[in-house]
Amino acid sequence: MTIRETNPRHFGSRAARSEDPRFLTGQGRYVADLTNVGTVHARFVRSPFAHAKVISVETSEALATPGVLAVFTGSDWADIGITCVSSYPGFQSSRMPILAGDTVRYNGEAVAMVLADDEYVAEDAARMVFVDYEPLQPLVDIADALADGAPRIHEDWEDNVFVKRRFVSDGFQDALDAAPHVVTQKWEMARHSGTPIECRAVVATYEPGRDHLTVWTSTQIPHLIKSGLAAALGRSEDGIRVVSPDVGGGFGVKAQLYPEEVACAQAAIALHKPIRWVEDRREHLLTAHHSREHMHEATMAYDDDGRILAYGVEVRVNMGPYSVFPWTATMDTGMAMGILPGPYRVGEYSASGFPVATNKAPFGAYRGVSRPAACFTTERMLDQVARERGLDPLEVRRRNLLQSEDFPHRSIGGLVYDSGTVRECLELLVEWTNYEDLRVDQERKRADGRLMGIGVVPFIEQTAHTSQEFLQRGVPIVFGYETSKLRLTPDGRLIISASIHSHGQGLETTLAQMAADALGIGLADIRVEFGDTDQVPYGSGTFASRSAVLAGGAARLASLELRDKLARVAAYIFEAAAEDIVFTDGHVSVRGTPTRAMQLSELCRIVYQRPEQIPPGETPSLEVSTTYDAPPGTGTYTSAAHLAVVEVDAETGRVQIDDYAVVEDCGRMINPMIVEGQITGGVAQGIGSAMLEEFVYDDQGNLMTTTLMDYLMPTATDVPRVRIRHIETPSDTVAGVRGMGEGGAIAPGAVLAAAVEDALLPLGPVVVDRLPLSPERVLRYADRARSNGR
Amino acid sequence: MVDVTLTINGTTVSRSTTPRRLLSDFIREDLGYTGTHVGCEHGYCGACTILVDGEPARACLMLAVQADGLQLETVESLAPSPDALHEIQQAFQDNHGLQCGFCTPGMLMTAKALLADNATPTEEEVREQIAGNLCRCTGYSQIVDAILSVGPVVRETP
Ligand code: FES
Ligand code: FES
Repeated sequence: MTIRETNPRHFGSRAARSEDPRFLTGQGRYVADLTNVGTVHARFVRSPFAHAKVISVETSEALATPGVLAVFTGSDWADIGITCVSSYPGFQSSRMPILAGDTVRYNGEAVAMVLADDEYVAEDAARMVFVDYEPLQPLVDIADALADGAPRIHEDWEDNVFVKRRFVSDGFQDALDAAPHVVTQKWEMARHSGTPIECRAVVATYEPGRDHLTVWTSTQIPHLIKSGLAAALGRSEDGIRVVSPDVGGGFGVKAQLYPEEVACAQAAIALHKPIRWVEDRREHLLTAHHSREHMHEATMAYDDDGRILAYGVEVRVNMGPYSVFPWTATMDTGMAMGILPGPYRVGEYSASGFPVATNKAPFGAYRGVSRPAACFTTERMLDQVARERGLDPLEVRRRNLLQSEDFPHRSIGGLVYDSGTVRECLELLVEWTNYEDLRVDQERKRADGRLMGIGVVPFIEQTAHTSQEFLQRGVPIVFGYETSKLRLTPDGRLIISASIHSHGQGLETTLAQMAADALGIGLADIRVEFGDTDQVPYGSGTFASRSAVLAGGAARLASLELRDKLARVAAYIFEAAAEDIVFTDGHVSVRGTPTRAMQLSELCRIVYQRPEQIPPGETPSLEVSTTYDAPPGTGTYTSAAHLAVVEVDAETGRVQIDDYAVVEDCGRMINPMIVEGQITGGVAQGIGSAMLEEFVYDDQGNLMTTTLMDYLMPTATDVPRVRIRHIETPSDTVAGVRGMGEGGAIAPGAVLAAAVEDALLPLGPVVVDRLPLSPERVLRYADRARSNGR
Repeated sequence: MVDVTLTINGTTVSRSTTPRRLLSDFIREDLGYTGTHVGCEHGYCGACTILVDGEPARACLMLAVQADGLQLETVESLAPSPDALHEIQQAFQDNHGLQCGFCTPGMLMTAKALLADNATPTEEEVREQIAGNLCRCTGYSQIVDAILSVGPVVRETP
């Protein structure tokens, strides 16, 4: 369903963001900015071991500290926890404790919660909680956990794999056996995370008189947090209100239910006082859910021309000890198995997925979820094919890419690509960046002894997927639809309450842009509300590049319904036909008869306050709530291609990114300025994944990177200017838009690894098989290239 | 408890506080200027950047008592009136130099100090000067553009 305004004014414009003024003036309201009279401050005591028996927790000294109100330990809340059971057969479930009971399973896991009337006192007192641990053998790496005779992370499990899944196409083995060429290679991505600049924060209050709990938390998914809290606490949902005010970056990290949220709620109920916990950066790096740690073993069979004959990948992901709510522990393996064939014709395919339980921190979502790893593996494999066949990497892509006529395409990974312009994106990128000239320039530089490299990667990305997709993923809560409720006020202003959220994506502006044109209303007259479950309709929240399509689509549909009603009322008043009523710039008039006109505000006032003037049978209400799930529910696909040019200094290991260019097709753009901001920000995070970011654990499972001096995120001198061009192919969703929040972060790892490998070629062949490309690792690749070259 | 008297955004305030209280907590929680954000409390992210006697400083690396007698400026001081933006703020909005807004107050204060020192910075100078402020959302280019776009008049009369 594509609905187009004949005269869009706001849809498609580079409108300045409505949310900016409050952020620019320091008036944003993040959880840590909220104040409540009589607030009690929480501090968690965290395990210094990755795996240990908890023998005893001694709290008396902490309790004796002046200002301390209470100390809770695992035994206080032994009967509550967070579970998230996948419907996949054979899934071994886990329960994430709120405070660890007799076993700690990762470094940083909370064992006690100290509550004091002052934040500093709470921190002092937390040091006075003495825990006696008996260390157990930690299972740090995937190999440790899969080793024969490895101890179990969970005693009642058969092994340390949450669930084993496998898919093999009928002809896979025969194709592999018959193929003239086969390449096999292992690929790894380091553990890292979204790491927003605002850490997590929770304020919980409880009103015993109403038996009502309110939890303010920095989350992307307020309604799901409410449902999760209700399940964990055994309370009814009407007795819980979750409010997520301004959120200082999410990126997936804030799309899980955390034990700290449950603990603060539980403490508020127990003490009848407001509880406040503001995470510090060390806690964040230790315990806010990590992501990305994939290990893939890939085999690709291809013919003399470099065409893929068969592709097989075993996906192992280091999940930490617990299945996380609401995703379960299968999201990364499952998504990789689906998308690994990417935008290519893959005749035969085999994939297996092993989410492995270990003693690292729990694993959740991060922008792009699994796709950065899948893209890395598939694109790196194609680069190996290119090298072995003596072909340009671009040529190998051209030979294997799906063509326009292949869409819609049911991929061998089981996904339905509704449409795709990957080929068009790639060709535009190649032409725009003068790819041929870049190769000439590279020859020249190589002749001068300089190490210049080029990486080029097309990809296709599932966005705005709804119930059909999540049903297949086996999650206990099937996400899908989003709902936008539109209300016109008696003075003609529009309030949009949406079930999604916004944490930088500018949805306060883009939802207004989706709804404005139908009503002829200015953006300044629209207010968008998110985050308060008492105020906004039920829905999933913001993740997976869905919000603009689904909540935006819902807002568009609701605005059309409101317009129809207003048109009927205006037609009655003007004695005209409803089809002839037009809405522009806050005015309602009869087409071709400018004298018959009134302000929109006047019309709204009449509906609410002079109901005797509206047509018989019409209700005096201007409120419409619309739910949209973008049928058929398997998503609309966004295409893109990225290119990077780098120069490597083989003496220092430094990689200079000289150019980074993106061509993408996210359908019709609601606001190109915001689209470009999302792409640039996504690429910057992808550059972090590719070059810098890694949670380093020692062999005992202790996290070594617990400050921002050790965990390096890109700064203004690390990120180049990203050049962007658009293709706009409308999708079949409302208004023709596609999701695009994550795309920027998907390809940089694959692109930059390819570019560095290409740069090192004059030294000798080497396979860049692991990210991030820190200077030390680049030096090692350079050494390996030199010795291979000898 | 120790008495601290300082000037913040042109207003002189006196409070008694504990010797160990961080200036960032003092500003946010005791004085109520929550525009100054805290992202790491170890001096790395720059979210807490304020101006102390006109120079950028990290409020999380100072104790409140160290600010006794000093002049502080926070993001709340920038806008000339409740319904107008300072030119630097306007430039951030015009160039989409912010997304979630969490790093923004620190970025703005760093930008103000940098433009006061150097009215016509190059892109490279801007990038180096703001490299001490992490932004996880924007990828920085739009922030750089915002700072470069600020008119020379503003640059010279901070
Ligand atoms: S909070 Fe001060 S530098 Fe990060
Ligand atoms: S705008 Fe979100 S951290 Fe900079």
